[in-house]
Amino acid sequence: MERYDIAVIGTGPAGVSAAITAKVRGKKLILFGSRHLSDKVEKAHSILNYPGLPNVSGAELANAYRMQLDSLDIPITEKQVTAVYAMGDYFAIQTPDDMVESTAVILAAGVVTSKALPGEDAFLGRGVSYCATCDAHFYRGKTVAVLGYSEQACREADFLAETCEKVLYFPAAPHEVQVNGRVEVVREKPTAILGDRQARTLETKSGKRFDVDGIFILRASVAPDKLVPGLAVEDNHIRVDLQMRTNLPGCFACGDAVGPPYQYIKAAGQGNVAALSAVAYLAEQK
Amino acid sequence: MITKITNNDLTEAKAKELAVLDFSATWCGPCKMLAPVLEHLADEMPGVSFYSIDVDENFPLAHEFGVSSIPCVVVLKHGQEVDRTVGFEPAPAMHAFVEKHL
Repeated sequence: MERYDIAVIGTGPAGVSAAITAKVRGKKLILFGSRHLSDKVEKAHSILNYPGLPNVSGAELANAYRMQLDSLDIPITEKQVTAVYAMGDYFAIQTPDDMVESTAVILAAGVVTSKALPGEDAFLGRGVSYCATCDAHFYRGKTVAVLGYSEQACREADFLAETCEKVLYFPAAPHEVQVNGRVEVVREKPTAILGDRQARTLETKSGKRFDVDGIFILRASVAPDKLVPGLAVEDNHIRVDLQMRTNLPGCFACGDAVGPPYQYIKAAGQGNVAALSAVAYLAEQK
Repeated sequence: MITKITNNDLTEAKAKELAVLDFSATWCGPCKMLAPVLEHLADEMPGVSFYSIDVDENFPLAHEFGVSSIPCVVVLKHGQEVDRTVGFEPAPAMHAFVEKHL
């Protein structure tokens, strides 16, 4: 498999800045994100503190980013990264359709607002799962709840319905809910997971209780330590030093993902530092 | 070296002072990534016995241990479960997880 020098995950100011510096330094680069770059940038009305671009709108800034990426011949790989595995001397980056290898990784995917449900961490692996394709098998002929946060979750619910006796789908975030006839949609807001040794019951805001054998929580974006197993986080932010190094050698992080202030110019500056640190790391590996 | 369990037979593992069981399956992505990590650990820790358990081939065993999410790594001390972890862990974290039972 071909191996990249640096994989950048995220196309906000931090990721774009990291990609630009990595490219200028001549590194073999892959940039994961979206051609839209970042909702948070796109929707900004006006940004007053970005040096050199007085009173720039978010849309204008995003356009300028796109032009700069294009002029440097940096393509955007529009795939969702579902997991990053620290394999020792490289990282394996999982997407829905393939696996990519890179010596260094820069995490710049912003901040995740959704918190774990009460009971979620305690019952992980004991009835709570994040991966329908991994764990459907254990619920053959049983009843499961799916907490769906995106249209992708609907497809995973359909997949579960092939194996499970009953699938209850709880839309947990606004999205178009389209599931096949074997999936039952329940419009209730889940608030807690209860059980004994195993998760048994899903409780909702209205006080209803649903007895199930398993609960699949399928979020659109996952918490950083779930995306990168072994990554150290503090208060939902990735722990980094001033060189933007995480606790995992070769893995760097920048932007909103590492904590406030959530400022465009701070994110861009940290992206630059992260890329330079990744370049230094690559030099040490040789 | 990692010993592959067949026919749900854990007799040997249960007799060991310290055994590490890796519940996995061929169709599970994180399991595939964890396998080389455990191979490496098995070389590093000659005092510990490592076993891989394909849950498709040994479903009763997975059931006995209440495994409902894989990869699942279980530590046995003289046949008794003392610890478990679910999901991929990088080598240093997995090393620390096993080492604390030495």
